[in-house]
Amino acid sequence: MPSVMLRKREDGKLLFYVAKKDLEETIESLEFDSPDKWGGEVVLGDGSKYFFDILDAPPKIPLHCKRNAYKGGCHGFIYSC
Amino acid sequence: MAAMTKEETEALIQEVLEVYPENAKKDRAKHLAVNDQSLEKANKCITSNRKSLPGVMTIRGCAYAGSKGVVWGPIKDMIHISHGPVGCGQYSRAGRRNYYVGTTGVNTFGTMNFTSDFQEKDIVFGGDKKLAKLIDEIEVLFPLNKGISIQSECPIGLIGDDIEAVAKVKNKEHGKTIVPVRCEGFRGVSQSLGHHIANDAIRDWVLEKRDGDDSFPTTPYDVAVIGDYNIGGDAWASRTLLEEMGLRVVAQWSGDGTIAEIEKTPKVKLNLIHCYRSMNYIARHMEEKYSIPWIEYNFFGPTKIAESLRRIAAHFDETIIEGAERVIKKYEAEYDAVIAKYKPRLQGKRVMLYVGGLRPRHVIGAYEDLGMEVVGTGYEFGHNDDYDRTIKEMGNATLLYDDVTGYEFEEFVKKVQPDLIGSGIKEKYIFQKMGIPFRQMHSWDYSGPYHGYDGFAIFARDMDMTLNNPCWKQIKAPWKKDAASNEAVKAVA
Amino acid sequence: MSQKVDNIQPSYPLFRTDEYKDNLANKRAEYEERHPQEQIDEVFQWTTTKEYQEINFNREALTVNPAKACQPLGAVLCALGFEKTLPYVHGSQGCVAYFRTYFNRHFKEPIACVSDSMTEDAAVFGGQKNMFAGLENAKALYKPDVIAVSTTCMAEVIGDDLNAFINNAKNEGHIEQDFPTPFAHTPSFVGSHTTGWDNMFEGIMRYNTLNFMADKEVGSNGKINFVPGFETYLGNFRVINRMMKEMGVDYTLLSDPTEVLDTPADGTFRMYAGGTSYADVKDAPNAITTILLQPWQLEKTKKFVDATWKQEVPKLNIPMGLEWTDALLMKVSELSGKPIPESLEKERGRLVDMMTDSHAWMHGKKFALYGDADFALGMTKFLLELGAEVTDVLVNHANKRWKKACEEVLAASPYGQNATVHIGKDLWHFRSLVFTNKPDFMMGNSYGKFIQRDTFYKGEEFEVPLIRVGFPIFDRHHLHRMTTLGYEGAIYLLTTLVNAVLEQLDKETKGMGTTDYNYYLIR
Repeated sequence: MPSVMLRKREDGKLLFYVAKKDLEETIESLEFDSPDKWGGEVVLGDGSKYFFDILDAPPKIPLHCKRNAYKGGCHGFIYSC
Repeated sequence: MAAMTKEETEALIQEVLEVYPENAKKDRAKHLAVNDQSLEKANKCITSNRKSLPGVMTIRGCAYAGSKGVVWGPIKDMIHISHGPVGCGQYSRAGRRNYYVGTTGVNTFGTMNFTSDFQEKDIVFGGDKKLAKLIDEIEVLFPLNKGISIQSECPIGLIGDDIEAVAKVKNKEHGKTIVPVRCEGFRGVSQSLGHHIANDAIRDWVLEKRDGDDSFPTTPYDVAVIGDYNIGGDAWASRTLLEEMGLRVVAQWSGDGTIAEIEKTPKVKLNLIHCYRSMNYIARHMEEKYSIPWIEYNFFGPTKIAESLRRIAAHFDETIIEGAERVIKKYEAEYDAVIAKYKPRLQGKRVMLYVGGLRPRHVIGAYEDLGMEVVGTGYEFGHNDDYDRTIKEMGNATLLYDDVTGYEFEEFVKKVQPDLIGSGIKEKYIFQKMGIPFRQMHSWDYSGPYHGYDGFAIFARDMDMTLNNPCWKQIKAPWKKDAASNEAVKAVA
Repeated sequence: MSQKVDNIQPSYPLFRTDEYKDNLANKRAEYEERHPQEQIDEVFQWTTTKEYQEINFNREALTVNPAKACQPLGAVLCALGFEKTLPYVHGSQGCVAYFRTYFNRHFKEPIACVSDSMTEDAAVFGGQKNMFAGLENAKALYKPDVIAVSTTCMAEVIGDDLNAFINNAKNEGHIEQDFPTPFAHTPSFVGSHTTGWDNMFEGIMRYNTLNFMADKEVGSNGKINFVPGFETYLGNFRVINRMMKEMGVDYTLLSDPTEVLDTPADGTFRMYAGGTSYADVKDAPNAITTILLQPWQLEKTKKFVDATWKQEVPKLNIPMGLEWTDALLMKVSELSGKPIPESLEKERGRLVDMMTDSHAWMHGKKFALYGDADFALGMTKFLLELGAEVTDVLVNHANKRWKKACEEVLAASPYGQNATVHIGKDLWHFRSLVFTNKPDFMMGNSYGKFIQRDTFYKGEEFEVPLIRVGFPIFDRHHLHRMTTLGYEGAIYLLTTLVNAVLEQLDKETKGMGTTDYNYYLIR
């Protein structure tokens, strides 16, 4: 799976979009979402899980996250934002 | 005919699948579904954006059609070269009713066909030299063109031509935008990939031309209309409404569009997406690169128009919010009168749709405003995200059919017996011969606009004129009308 | 704008209201960065000059507004003319969407045709798998008796071998061994739509006769075969049927789509209707001979009829106008031994009667025309017979031999002396010719309407009206039902032509108090 695009929906929720998969899902939870730590496990509206590289600060959204190393388990790949 | 139950609809799908060979049956089963509003996600019920099966008479076109025919072709002050053999450009010439105004052949070129008319030697030795030469010839013969796009036909990608290199060289020489587009017809599974490729080509070769150039005076109310191809003047009937509520429509993508408008779009405050399927890509890109938010809207029928105007206005200040209310109020009497006249004539009529990538869901509201019910719908080239957006618009137990085959569509219609079908020209004459009123919903059957309040009035008029034309009563010769239908007539009387 | 419910207006005249005019003017002024009007006008005027024409005619690489289409389009039309035959195009699916649409728009009829939807993987590995599934699916769903296979340029560029693929499909059981599958390679980068018709026809004849020639004998069935070529006037098939019936000549029209392209609206959709039967196709080598109604567009067919059927194909031109219809009937009479019946002689007399009635309006009127090779030649011939002058004849797909033949026809008439014949040229060339040679009328398909508009834009006095004859005709209804061949066709054409002349005269003279003297009742 190539890159993921993150954007904010009108209601403020984060949307997780993968063009190649026609996947457009809300992000229901993000492991770390504080001013000094952002990323980790992502759970989407459909229950699927992904993993974002952990950053020191929340990135500016919208943005592209690129597939990086393989993490294995239910997460598959790590995405770097 | 009464609405079908979920079980009846499922049985119908099974029955229609019966005739397919085993492999084909398995594949097609995934593309046919009974709508279930309780589903959150379409991929639970229907598969889309997959290869069409060979030999089944798909209604789909190709990537070239998506790029040249849909996205690029309407940009009126550029010359779009159909690069390859003569057919593609000829079949798509002036066929899509993207209205524009201009002096055709001098400063606009929308209804013309520029082609490299490949011959055998071009296939054998490559067509790059010919391409370079014909670009020079265009510059001499059509000096007021604002740019050129090279729309690749199938052979280009197969023979290994380097159209990008030609474009770069000629761009330097002539100082004009020259865009190579890799939209060979064999790429992807439908028109859809052509839209995406065309979007990417705009992103890579056009969009950043004015980055850092602030000479265009902007306002806080600048918007772009994206994914409106001005069929029958749709975009014009939309821009007037938007401007009436106080916005400035700086660009139309791409009906009646110009390259200058495209280049100015990164300066707008909000992108308004009508056809999500064909242009969401560029909107997402602009959101990321230029921080321009985008929203989808729907200008079919007063209910959706009012919803959309309010949603758009919510992105701006009070003056625009008031403007939206003023516009809705102003047109209320007009659309109320339209509904009052036509709803009694159309109430309860059942419609089946099969269109491209947007209208299978977007026009449902307009039919409902007239008291009509959409009982089956499907996309030629929709993706999952389109079906996600469709499930809620359609009633429970209605039919969904993706990339429908000629055979399936005919069988569904025979069983569902809709009062009206909205689809394309390849389907039109089949159903008219079956005696079913039909409207082309790609070209508005040479009418339109259908967008906006002005368009809704025309839409209502057209649906009524087709549904209620006396010709449909003459399908059976009087001496052939059987006893059953005579009784039915009596019952109605 | 607010629509009035009792007078709802579509795009025109809706967009002529002030609100829309102002809005669009503002769009132009604020956002489009259009060139100044004077510059647009200046360039427009330049494009109408002799000087521009010279540059235009020096083009070597660019084609603008071609007057031709590609091979598989013709192959599809050819296949539609045979009984229960499904046209099948091996290659990209978009092509088939285009062919169907193109014919839908012209005939206002459904067009059944399938593709085997080759995509990127097929580009790499070849399209054999697509052929396997395609034949199997098409046969199961649409139940044809015959599938006629042609190709798009994609399949041709990657070099797919139809014969091998189809045989493999049969060997692997995707369709039965004996299921008929005539085929033809129809690369769109060679020739045009008329070549594709010729190739598909030859393919169908080859498939049905090549290996069955042993018991065939020229003349043994006493029939005459007619091959229409790429023909889109339904009346032209019907007039051949009628004339042969009136002559009492036994005949076969090989490829006759008049039924499938003209099914009734009676509650039933018929995917197949009528068409030449395969019994007749198989019997065709036994005919006295085969007459090619559009010989310039049937070169491959002629070679096959010569070499395989061993029939002597008579040298005839397309039976358009008076003399070439005479020639056809006399040849048929000679071949069949049947006299030309009184009914046809009377029909001829009626045509001549019309020519005498209308000659004064046709004489010396100048025409420029474009279209397919045989049509253009036949039309030229008929115009000369009417005493009309021909200024330019343009055929995009024709060869040098055709050019020479057309020039000979023109040279033989005093009305053809000022004509020029153009091959390998397109409608942007034709536009230049219309501006510089100023014919009174142009004749051709619907694409000519843009040239008419250009001439009108130069000034009303420069306007050259288009008379719609040819293919495609998208912007007028039902003209494809007409007849252009035989005396009947000449009657239709003359009616169309002379009334175009009279309409134009009315248009030019309707000025009250200026030209009213000539706006007369009786003509």
